[in-house]
Amino acid sequence: MIVTLHLVALTLYALATALVLAPFMGLGSPSRALAIALPCAGAAAHVVALAQLTLVGLGPALSMLAFCLVLLQLASERLLRGSAVSFFTSPLATGLVGLAVLSGLAPGTDVPARNTWLVLHIALSVLGLALMALAFIAAALYLLQFRELKARRFGQIFQLFPPLERLDQLNRIALVAGFPSLTLGLLLAVGYGTRFSGGMGFHVAKAQIVWGLFTWVVLGWAVWVRLVRHWGGRRAALASIAGFSAVLLVYVALKLVQPGAERFL
Amino acid sequence: MTDPIAMSIKVLGVNHRTAPLDVRERFTHGAHEVPGALARVIAAGASGGVLLSTCNRTEFYLVSDDEPALETVWSLLGERLAGAPSGGAREYGYIVRDRDAVRHLYRVSSGLDSMILGESQIQGQVRDAWEASRAQAGPVLHRLFQTALHVGSRVRTETGLGMGTASAASAGVAVAGKIFGDLAGRHALILGAGDMAELAATCLSDQGVQITLVANRTQERARAIAERLGGRAVSLEEAWTHFASTDIALCSTAAPHAVVTWERVGPVIAQRRGRPLCILDLAVPRDVDPAIAQIENVFLYDVDDLQTVAAQATARRRDEIPAAERIVEEETNLFWAWYGGLGVVPTIKELRERMEQVRAAELERALRQLGALSAEDRARVEQFSQSLMNKFLHQPTIALKAAAEEGRGYGLLEALRRLFGMESPE
Repeated sequence: MIVTLHLVALTLYALATALVLAPFMGLGSPSRALAIALPCAGAAAHVVALAQLTLVGLGPALSMLAFCLVLLQLASERLLRGSAVSFFTSPLATGLVGLAVLSGLAPGTDVPARNTWLVLHIALSVLGLALMALAFIAAALYLLQFRELKARRFGQIFQLFPPLERLDQLNRIALVAGFPSLTLGLLLAVGYGTRFSGGMGFHVAKAQIVWGLFTWVVLGWAVWVRLVRHWGGRRAALASIAGFSAVLLVYVALKLVQPGAERFL
Repeated sequence: MTDPIAMSIKVLGVNHRTAPLDVRERFTHGAHEVPGALARVIAAGASGGVLLSTCNRTEFYLVSDDEPALETVWSLLGERLAGAPSGGAREYGYIVRDRDAVRHLYRVSSGLDSMILGESQIQGQVRDAWEASRAQAGPVLHRLFQTALHVGSRVRTETGLGMGTASAASAGVAVAGKIFGDLAGRHALILGAGDMAELAATCLSDQGVQITLVANRTQERARAIAERLGGRAVSLEEAWTHFASTDIALCSTAAPHAVVTWERVGPVIAQRRGRPLCILDLAVPRDVDPAIAQIENVFLYDVDDLQTVAAQATARRRDEIPAAERIVEEETNLFWAWYGGLGVVPTIKELRERMEQVRAAELERALRQLGALSAEDRARVEQFSQSLMNKFLHQPTIALKAAAEEGRGYGLLEALRRLFGMESPE
């Protein structure tokens, strides 16, 4: 049932991806209603599947991340009044769901009891990560649009991408919302570990702690330069991209050091 | 007296295709001139008129006969050419009749006949013309203009004819919009006070941009524009410092060389701390030193760039012409069906009822005078009267229906009502 629901969500996300990328293939802009309805329907199937998952393990974590991205995509659509964010989030979410299905949606061997602490910890941490990804996407869109505007090119990117200031605003909102989310997620992990028998209730790899803290520091730095140092525009976009890239690189490096197909880390 | 049988819908006018600007501006009628002009045309025999006068066209929409009212329009326009080296208004004008006249107005209100394809301003101008001529339009033109606004809305909603931006000034607005998003509340500085500067400043102002300063070599003209757009007039020398705070700088001076140079504004722009500055250079030769574009947060666009944006929009709009024309044709058919059948059925019915009353009264009188007749003879006389009336009415009924199908029903109905003393419909 979980796999079937994931496959339904995957199909709907894939259709939504084809739809949003259609203008780049010269097929004309899709109807806005359809571009929203498809990911909405996919998210509906997805949430039913997630409710039945343990949320522990690589597959469930990727699935959760994809779900958060789709929710953020829909929220951004409303904020930006355009579908540019979905150029990135839609294929990314589709790919993540596909990877989740391929990795297997069954939990690892040391599965803790599913309780509110754990669910909140995972949900908030993944949401923080998804918001960081959204900030990265907004920053990438910003730099692309910036380059086109400076070079006086008025092609597809100029036409389809949102205005610079709106992308800058999205980047800022995603970072500012992502930091408390990730902080709370990490604090819940510490609280969970303290409350239940002096540990997390299941094996926590050092890599997991290192990566969690590293991500938190990077996100905190990105928020600090925006809010305290008043970075904006191109500089802030570059900082977001550098930060998120570093987080991804460290993830890959740690995954190579401590391989384990069944775990997120 | 005008023969109303010949009355039909006509458009007589000049537009951007038939007359150059210096001629068109002579034909332009202000709102206060419309009632007087239409009164003259109606006095010459038209039963209704609407005058549409914009910078690109002056058109009289009439329900009229072919000659006296049209002659009056030519005279009206000709008077405005006094002193001009031309052969009169006819040289620049055109007449469109009946179904083509309906289609013409629908194409006008849709923006299909505009100089800038698909522009939306014309919709408001058609509405204003209808409003200004309301007392003199008459029922047919009321209906025609009402439906023309509907057609304009349909074309803009159902096709992409109005999408994008199709003039350099509006392209400037679009490009600024791609930098700032919502332009409402942004500040703009205008350098120059010519027509182009004024048009572009108006486009920005329409989007909610605050025109804070208008700088020009001569203050008088700058002051006039600044007052109209709610800004302040300054000299060019005073303007440079404002490059530190403004969001948009619109340059359109008549200077023969660049006036916005690195030396003048480079250090000032550095004070912006990375905030974007959009510079729209509409002047030829250019007002802005291209080196300014090297500053990271400066987005500089000249006329060529803006015309590229405008040309893209026009190209996209051209693809929408067939869809727009289909709507126009569909609506023209609907109007023509309405116009063709206007009052025909009730009028024929009323005419037959009247004739029947006359026949019955005359039959009764004749039978009284004839004295005692057998029932068979009485029936024969009655049948004769009935047959005679039907024969008399047959040809007018056929003619009326045929005229209605050809779109000339309205004029014929007017004639019929006058000839037979029937009241005009509401």
